Amino acid sequence: MAQTPNQRPFGSASSLVSLCNIFIMKVKIKDWKAVAGWRWDVPDDDVCGICRAPFDACCPSCKIPGDDCPLIWGECTHVFHMHCLLKWLGTESSQQQCPMDRRPWVTAS
Amino acid sequence: MSSKMQTKRLLRELTQLKKTPCPNISLQSTDSLETWFVDIKGVDNTLYANENFTLQFKFTREYPIEAPEVTFIGNVPLHPHVYSNGHICLSILYQYWTPVLTVDGICLSILSMLSSCEKKELPRKNDVYIKKAGPSPKDTAWIFDDGTV
Repeated sequence: MAQTPNQRPFGSASSLVSLCNIFIMKVKIKDWKAVAGWRWDVPDDDVCGICRAPFDACCPSCKIPGDDCPLIWGECTHVFHMHCLLKWLGTESSQQQCPMDRRPWVTAS
Repeated sequence: MSSKMQTKRLLRELTQLKKTPCPNISLQSTDSLETWFVDIKGVDNTLYANENFTLQFKFTREYPIEAPEVTFIGNVPLHPHVYSNGHICLSILYQYWTPVLTVDGICLSILSMLSSCEKKELPRKNDVYIKKAGPSPKDTAWIFDDGTV
């Protein structure tokens, strides 16, 4: 391929190889630790309609988000912190209805 | 008396109201977190255009699981669902409360109730009601028979 002088980026291939030879060190990996993050599978910035705290934070009664303060999905597709929803369903006035659409609450399996 | 859920949620609603205020709704004072006064202004081109009213919100420690007590104080609008003692006949404040409703949501519902009014008049049996009713409208056994609002 024909090249004009200003299309040649960093010198010739052979000079790059010789540069690499200078800087390559021999490294042996003995141990490594993986770090992973997690978040609930809900839209970004979504909040629980009952406590208004983000889903990625926990409900007002808990301190640490995660398995101890899970989310609960209804068959109607609405989602809440489980602890928040249970407080609501525990009242007589809830009539066991979803707070969003007032349909009978059925937990999605 | 407050609960963690009540305090945290009210503080969130307060921040939200200050950050993104709704038209015709303005927070008057919140000296205590449990009692708020919210000013609402009648919507243009309705019977209540440019009229100003104040709503008092009282939150129990179970808020938002339990509905707040909402009444008009001072200048009470003349409306077929608002008694002259400030009590409001609106289903979402009583049997149809759900914890996903918020202060601004309630204000919007009340504004919409005012806006849809076609004739300014007292509720039927206003005199009987205000004699019998207790201080809190939440103690009234409401019957909601008007599906038009």
